[in-house]
Amino acid sequence: MFGRRGAQLCSELAQNDDERLHRFDNDLFEHVIEEANEHYHQLETRMVKMQQEGLDIETTQNRDYFGALIHHLSLIRNKRCLMSYVYNRSQSVQRLRWQLGAVLPADLQDKLNYSEIEFFKNYSELLGSYMTNIDLDLTVDSTPPKDPYIQVRVMDDLGEVLLDDQATTLLRNSIHLMKRTEAEPLISQGLLEEFIG
Amino acid sequence: MSSYYDLDDLLAEEETVSVVFRVAADGVGILDPGSEDNNVEQGAKVDVPLWLAQDLCQRQAAFINLPGYFSQRVRKEMQADPGCVDIRTRCPYFYGVGCKLVPITNDATLGSFLLYTLRGRYKDILSKAHSAAISSTPKVMQILSREETMLFQAGRDSMTAFKRWRVEGTRMERAAVLGKKRKSQEL
Repeated sequence: MFGRRGAQLCSELAQNDDERLHRFDNDLFEHVIEEANEHYHQLETRMVKMQQEGLDIETTQNRDYFGALIHHLSLIRNKRCLMSYVYNRSQSVQRLRWQLGAVLPADLQDKLNYSEIEFFKNYSELLGSYMTNIDLDLTVDSTPPKDPYIQVRVMDDLGEVLLDDQATTLLRNSIHLMKRTEAEPLISQGLLEEFIG
Repeated sequence: MSSYYDLDDLLAEEETVSVVFRVAADGVGILDPGSEDNNVEQGAKVDVPLWLAQDLCQRQAAFINLPGYFSQRVRKEMQADPGCVDIRTRCPYFYGVGCKLVPITNDATLGSFLLYTLRGRYKDILSKAHSAAISSTPKVMQILSREETMLFQAGRDSMTAFKRWRVEGTRMERAAVLGKKRKSQEL
């Protein structure tokens, strides 16, 4: 009651320092909404009671007024908790697009709820069409490049991959020199590692 | 001014403070465990979250008692040596709560006390953030408030970035969201 659960919802997010995404907490989210509804009913009861007594709601400041006020504030507080939970997660979802590209790995997709997946798709589309319009891939070169080519080490057997318009077989622990722009998304996805020899 | 969506701001407002109601309120008995009917009476002393206290005090519907971690005893302790006081166990959002309390309390010294505390601890935090080993969690972090931890982390991150730049280390990294590298993949 009185916003405890809402804060609990948000503290789950705030404690999560390592930027890993957690599963969308549907249960708690629903609980907070229920709680907000409960506050609304209580608020309504107080208001109706004041009206029945023939009091002017705007000017009277009796016990019912303060009861209603507290429920009103709790309602707003719960709303803020819900909003910031959704907002902060949506920020992480946006980051995913920049870091991992347009396709999400399955284990991450499980952690998002339906509307977040929708949001990711729409955001990805929007960013994609913008990048097509200006004819520039904005997600690469997040750090200023020193050399157009870099050395990378392959972290896993990837099979045949199309690099620089050539099919190349990437075996685990093999070392390749490749175009930086091609390597960057793969490094970000954890398939390659920058190799300094 | 902090943002509506800011999680730390939101959580700082969740800390409980004790207020005394100047008015009575019906239908909110759950706030006051001592009340028999569902109401809070005038003069009742109740622990409420800060966000509620803020509004009630602004409307003159309640007045606030400063929480224990701003008591004279703690202030004396802080005067003796600010760097040694354990703030985290007292209140993880020490400064956030303090700043929010300043406009609603009668205690005019609270603001300067907060400033004194931060000033006394700042240098220590920063020098430790720069010198502590990267992998371990230094002892000093156990007594820092959430705000100070962020300061510490920022100092540490910039030091790590600087070191990496000096040795010309890797500049592109695996996305943090994927978690740590799988150990079984090594070798």
